Amino acid sequence: MAYSDKVIDHYEHPRNVGALDKDDHAVGTGLVGAPACGDVMKLQIKVSAEGIIEDAKFKTFGCGSAIASSSLVTEWVKGKTLDEAASIKNTDIAHELALPPVKIHCSVLAEDAIKAAIADYKKKSG
Amino acid sequence: MNAPAAAQIVSCWSCKGPVATRALFCSVCGAVQGPGTIDHFTRLGIAPSFDLDLDALQRQYFGFQKRLHPDRFASKSSKEKALSQAQATSLNEAYEALKDPLKRAAYLLNHLGHPVDLTACGTINDRELLMEQMEKREALAEATSPDQIAKLAMEAESEVIACQCHISAAINASHLEEAGHLTIRLKYLAKLAEEARAKKTRALRLP
Repeated sequence: MAYSDKVIDHYEHPRNVGALDKDDHAVGTGLVGAPACGDVMKLQIKVSAEGIIEDAKFKTFGCGSAIASSSLVTEWVKGKTLDEAASIKNTDIAHELALPPVKIHCSVLAEDAIKAAIADYKKKSG
Repeated sequence: MNAPAAAQIVSCWSCKGPVATRALFCSVCGAVQGPGTIDHFTRLGIAPSFDLDLDALQRQYFGFQKRLHPDRFASKSSKEKALSQAQATSLNEAYEALKDPLKRAAYLLNHLGHPVDLTACGTINDRELLMEQMEKREALAEATSPDQIAKLAMEAESEVIACQCHISAAINASHLEEAGHLTIRLKYLAKLAEEARAKKTRALRLP
């Protein structure tokens, strides 16, 4: 199966790999997995006092599509409000990266990861 | 759970005589039968269980495949050729699904009415499992010396074995919910072991 150029670009030059301090009150952490591949994805956001996502980091152990999906999402959410970030759909990710049908679950994983990170942030900030 | 499924009787397509759904051949006229819709355990003639005797499984499989060898159907009708091929394909699927512990666990749980889907798009948020796996994958990614990598690979392999024992115990105790969680855990452990093996091979290749 051939990966699209965008997937390869994100895979070879992943954006925003790393970690934020999970104990920081401004940081929300999402941790999700896709049993189909045995993938695990951690996505973190740092939210400003105005409710804007000012930083995002990820760490993903999985295939090229899973890494590209999480890399793309961290790029997309920066500068967005929580509601805007929560409205990202897996279909947008799959479309942008031209993911083949067998890799759609990688985009689902990224969508669920950002939702989980937002939920974690909201829970922490009460 | 260990009793073989009751034989179901259908009519032979050729002589209309009674034939068991799991039978390869009609006992009346000897015509090869189509694969029919039966579970993998019944197809291979073994009792449904996670703790399979893999030698017995392999004997059953090769025994059946031998009787379906294309050479035996060279002079038969095209219908019989097609049916024997369909049987061979179904036996293959059954054997592939049962010989691998992970696939077997998922198949058996589905068979017992507790579906575990390892192929769907679904995601999980089992925090404990994911955090543990994240840490182990990180440790493996950061390991540089061949000794370190070999140690992690060995640990991963023994965790796979331990998890299989836990699945066996859970299924035998009819704790299917737990067996389902353990099956997903096994998927992750198998992935970790696979990555560790691959990294070990690469490390050994270095001068």
